[in-house]
Amino acid sequence: MAAELPDAGLLRVEHLTRHFKIGGALSRRTLHAVDDVSFSIAGREIVALAGESGSGKSTIARLLARIYRPTAGEMFFEGKPLSQLKSRRDQLRYSGLVPMVFQDPFSSINPVFRVQHGVLRSLKLHRPSLSAAGRLDEAARVFEVVGLTPDMLERFPYELSGGQRQRVGFAQALAMRPKLILADEPVSMLDTSIRIGLLNLMAQLRDSEGVSVLYITHDIASARYVADKLIVMYAGQIAETGPIEDVLAHPRHPYTQLLLSAVPDPRAPLAVAAETDRGEPPKVIDPVPGCRFRWRCPLAIDTCEQVTPVLAELVPGHDVACHVAQTGAEVKAFSSGRGSS
Amino acid sequence: MSDVPVLEVSGLSVDYILDRGDVRAVDDVSFSVNRGEFLGIVGESGCGKSTLLFAVAQLLAPPASVVSGSVTFEGTNLIGLTDGQLSAIRWRDMSVVMQSAMNALNPVKTIGAQFKDVMRAHGRVPKVEIAARSAEVLRMVGIDPAHLRSYPHQLSGGMRQRSMIAMAMLFTPDLIIMDEPTSALDVVAQRSLMVQIKELQLALGFAVIFVTHDMSLISHFSDRLMVMYAGQVDELGATQRIFAAPQHPYTRGLLEAFPSIRGPRVPLKGIPGNPPDLAHVPAGCRFHPRCPHVAERCTEVAPDLFPIDEALVRCLRRQDGSLT
Repeated sequence: MAAELPDAGLLRVEHLTRHFKIGGALSRRTLHAVDDVSFSIAGREIVALAGESGSGKSTIARLLARIYRPTAGEMFFEGKPLSQLKSRRDQLRYSGLVPMVFQDPFSSINPVFRVQHGVLRSLKLHRPSLSAAGRLDEAARVFEVVGLTPDMLERFPYELSGGQRQRVGFAQALAMRPKLILADEPVSMLDTSIRIGLLNLMAQLRDSEGVSVLYITHDIASARYVADKLIVMYAGQIAETGPIEDVLAHPRHPYTQLLLSAVPDPRAPLAVAAETDRGEPPKVIDPVPGCRFRWRCPLAIDTCEQVTPVLAELVPGHDVACHVAQTGAEVKAFSSGRGSS
Repeated sequence: MSDVPVLEVSGLSVDYILDRGDVRAVDDVSFSVNRGEFLGIVGESGCGKSTLLFAVAQLLAPPASVVSGSVTFEGTNLIGLTDGQLSAIRWRDMSVVMQSAMNALNPVKTIGAQFKDVMRAHGRVPKVEIAARSAEVLRMVGIDPAHLRSYPHQLSGGMRQRSMIAMAMLFTPDLIIMDEPTSALDVVAQRSLMVQIKELQLALGFAVIFVTHDMSLISHFSDRLMVMYAGQVDELGATQRIFAAPQHPYTRGLLEAFPSIRGPRVPLKGIPGNPPDLAHVPAGCRFHPRCPHVAERCTEVAPDLFPIDEALVRCLRRQDGSLT
């Protein structure tokens, strides 16, 4: 399984599970947002976590940011379990090393303060050794790293464009000298012409600052552009994971194939009449055993009805949770029209 | 498909009349939509595409108002019509699907009740027919008619968006205007909705104006494409030609800003800078501060739309042939 990779990595997640109780006292039900998920992130690595809304990808980010507590399972940062972070000092250190950048640059920055406020505040909190002047210097430095000019520190959020605000979000994260940035859909609200700049920034942070990024997205094409590794989630579980080029070139899980077939690609030939899936991702409430994709899967066999597939390594580093793929058969559920390339 | 335009927009300008001065959000825009045609309008946020669409549908509210131009729908200029006259056209001949179905549907009424409202307000339809037609349009978009008794919150995002489209088809209009109907959906749901819209369009023959910021989404579905920048049309032409050979540097920049899931991984640059604030548009060509091919005259002379091949392009350097 993915958790037993030889290198401990920067961050390791083992059998992570998060359930939510829903319904009133009379109809108690359990929503399985994340179910038995294991993966790891190495240093200087961008890992893309992809899936439809409701697949549990944001829940994972919130578990890693310690906004939620796991129902079961454990997360290890630099080999130490997060559940052991008891003292405020340890917790503060962790949140400085693993900051989060949010989806909406319009609501994640306090509108009544100048943009330097957030940066200076996190510097004061996480790097108390810096003097007031040192904090300003450092704020100017991180602003330059993310492609803003230091004079923008004096601006108010409303004076900045969406792309600039999202860079402020990355500057705030960077000020804490992070090892891993949790970026939850950081570019999905930005205009096309601005997006690439932010993706390039993430790659630059990895390459020159040595920061790892967990890049949560539903946009596979942008994931491919920056990420080293891809984790595809479906209904709270990992469907497939591996080196991103490998997974995209040879997707083995039917769901990954469906996801790829849906990516609009102007460079691909026109294929309106492609096999179209009209299903929807299930709400994982009190699930029964079996593959959670089976209702949408054209290849489902009897085993899929009864046994929940677990991730198994089919090729080195490339794990798939699919009974059909694990029999060694070639999986061709949805064509992504990449035959010509 | 005949070539009689169902909609003709000519010289349309829309201002937002504000205390700090008027802001022109749509500047001298002209285009037409033929019967059964799928026209895509793309542009970034703040380029005026939604304002344009609201002007076409005559849904603008103060401080926005049309200052010049005409919107001719099936021979009638919609500008200046009274609410009563517009009401006879809306839903029956032209309908609008709004961006967010979550907000466009009434949360405390069932889908069926909302369909009934539309049919009662815009035509004299017997009760039995209302029920039959409601079930029929819902079936067309692939939703079980049992959901006529469902409330919006009981449907998924994709189903809500589909029922909005079903509602727009109640009277089989000649034109359906769609404002980013898929932007709140996942890629898979997005794709299936696009395929469905296209299938319905081919079957029923209505024309579509589809506004989006995602160029790649409509690449396979639209017949013609209109690219907007800072309130103006930058390029207008056949979709396939624009994707194959974009003429305007902005269009080219937009196309090159999309990473592909196929082929080699190449570094992309995107377009430097930000779209301009419409209250302070740059002099000369509005794209010149971000243009990689800017020449000196681009900063002074405002270019006109110029026909190149079968497309219209607003670029001085294309016009004089110094940029190929």
